[in-house]
Amino acid sequence: MNKLHFKVGLFAAASLLLAGMFVVYLLHARGFFEKTFHLQLAAASADGVAPGVPVVFSGIEIGRVTTLGLNENGGIIIHAEFLGRNAKWLKENSTFTLDKPIVGGAKIRVDSPDLKAPALPDNATMLLLTSDISKEIPALVDRVKAILDNVEHLTRKDGELNATLANAKTVTGRMTGEYGMLEGLLGSPEKARALTDSLDKTRALITKLDGLAAKADQWLFAEKGVAAQTRESLAQIRLLLNDAQSSLKKADVMMTNAVEISANVKDGTQDLAQLRAEIDDAVRKASDLVNQINRKWPFAREPEVKLP
Amino acid sequence: MNFLAASIESLGAKVVGWFTVGYAMAAFLARAGLLLLEPATWNRATFDVVVKQVYFTAVQILHVFLGYALVISWLIITIILSTARDFGLTEFASEMTIRVLVLELLPFLTALFVALRSGSAINTEVALMQVNSELDALAHCKVPPMQFEFLPRLVGGVVSVVTLAGLAGLLALLMGYLAIYGVNTAGFEPYTRTIAKIFDFKIMAGLLVKCALFGLAVTLIPVTAGLETPKKLFMVPVSVLRGMMRVFFAIVAIEVVSLALKYI
Amino acid sequence: MAAVVALPDDVARVSHELPLRANLSALDNIALIPIYQRHFSVGESNQQALQLLDQLGHADIASLRDPDMTPAQRFVTKLARALILKRPRLVIDRPGAMLYDVSYPAFIRQLAMQATMAGTWEIFDFSWNRVLYNE
Repeated sequence: MNKLHFKVGLFAAASLLLAGMFVVYLLHARGFFEKTFHLQLAAASADGVAPGVPVVFSGIEIGRVTTLGLNENGGIIIHAEFLGRNAKWLKENSTFTLDKPIVGGAKIRVDSPDLKAPALPDNATMLLLTSDISKEIPALVDRVKAILDNVEHLTRKDGELNATLANAKTVTGRMTGEYGMLEGLLGSPEKARALTDSLDKTRALITKLDGLAAKADQWLFAEKGVAAQTRESLAQIRLLLNDAQSSLKKADVMMTNAVEISANVKDGTQDLAQLRAEIDDAVRKASDLVNQINRKWPFAREPEVKLP
Repeated sequence: MNFLAASIESLGAKVVGWFTVGYAMAAFLARAGLLLLEPATWNRATFDVVVKQVYFTAVQILHVFLGYALVISWLIITIILSTARDFGLTEFASEMTIRVLVLELLPFLTALFVALRSGSAINTEVALMQVNSELDALAHCKVPPMQFEFLPRLVGGVVSVVTLAGLAGLLALLMGYLAIYGVNTAGFEPYTRTIAKIFDFKIMAGLLVKCALFGLAVTLIPVTAGLETPKKLFMVPVSVLRGMMRVFFAIVAIEVVSLALKYI
Repeated sequence: MAAVVALPDDVARVSHELPLRANLSALDNIALIPIYQRHFSVGESNQQALQLLDQLGHADIASLRDPDMTPAQRFVTKLARALILKRPRLVIDRPGAMLYDVSYPAFIRQLAMQATMAGTWEIFDFSWNRVLYNE
């Protein structure tokens, strides 16, 4: 027996065995022995998404974007692949969010709030949200709430508006009374006009909110339109918008009254000025909100919301 | 004027020299490659010489080499881990460790190791064969030295560097696992994920090609340098010196090109 | 001298200018030729080489390497290597340079008797050594 040959043979056999084991391990790690799970994501914008962008679940990469493409309606379809063993994290109520951190590459985040939910079938199509939207939905809800509070505050029974109106009545009573100081208390016509302007703005806002609500409706009732969680958020916003609308309408009526009264008395009291400022503020905030919603929601632009 | 002309001339001589060396190497490699394709080459005798070469280049030094790879890996892993912890980058530590050690440092060190040990030996031996006219004797007997002296060395070198780098890499992977997760199976999943992320087909093929080129560089260059030796005994050290210089440059160049291809 | 260097291809030379491979044993040095020229297997070639050495009466040097041999043993190995080439002419080039420790004409004569070879043996040597061959 040749000792040298034996040693080399042992070395070669051991090396080949180790190499073979490593290759098998690597193939296992890369999912060669597993079925690949495919997923399509519909997005309004593919900004920052490229093949190779990771799909992460709880911070751990479970898949990757393979290709980007367009469907017949011009919508963007992102194809992603997952290893069979990672597919269990994708549920029917999962949301897919495009995360673009300030530092680091873009990634698609998967959130599965309920892991007991039925699993997503292969080749399913889901909606891809843009991260700043999903982050901002709660913030938007908060802002709507704040505005509503404001409106509520203005229109409550013992609120400033009522008080102002009462005040105005008193003043009117007084003015038309024995003192007859009508002329002396005359406010400038500009002030009255400013109030009318506020009123117009409020009305414009109501129209805008109407439009937005209609869009939200469209989304809510579209077949397989959006993921359940997003749908909930939308429904919430829808309610808030309705609320805002009715409140603003109430305010509108009162404002009209107030303007009429003030026009009657030509009054320029502090109370009314303050009221106007507050209404203005509320209207501005609400307009902002509407603009923001319009600008940022991916489905606000209609041609892009068509799903395959 | 004379000075300028002289310097231009010396530059020209250098360039011509480099081209001659490069051409000789390429021609040698081409001949070896063609011979490799011939079925007649693959007889038992050539195989025996290859086995002998693998024995002297890889098996004989395996324990020393693995011990050395173990120490280097352990040190580098510890340094990377503690630095990563200090900077709060622990999540990148395992990937960093694997990239630095398995893909870059260990193949490079393996090539240096084999170059210093076998490369210099090959260079000296070929130079002595040349100076002693042993090659002339072989030529007289019509025994092609390429087939039984040089080709087995090239093949042995490639096989040895690829295998040694692979073994050292596997060892480093194991050490990395132990250093990060300790002796338990809890880290198997995330570690597997990291490995799967790093070792795609391109990286594996690149690693293999790089190691093979290292193996070729540490044998081909010494052989050609040895063959260039003039028939004077005192030229043997000069030949080894030149050969080893070229080997070093070649190894660094391969590493630089591989890094550039990978990250640029 | 020039005639020796410019010998044609059908000549097998034994010369101090054509040394043995230093890190191979005598047997391997001889066996190289059947292996690489006639594509015999290693075992077969070794068999042939050993047979040849045995015929020359030096089977005991089979495992020795060049530095371990005496000049006579080295010469026998070189001669065996030239014989196994099976060329029609055998030229021994300046035997005095290789066989400095024996009376080489007698030594060569004895080897020539043991070897069975179809072709001719020629010895090139310096003219002042002619007397040695006449002894």
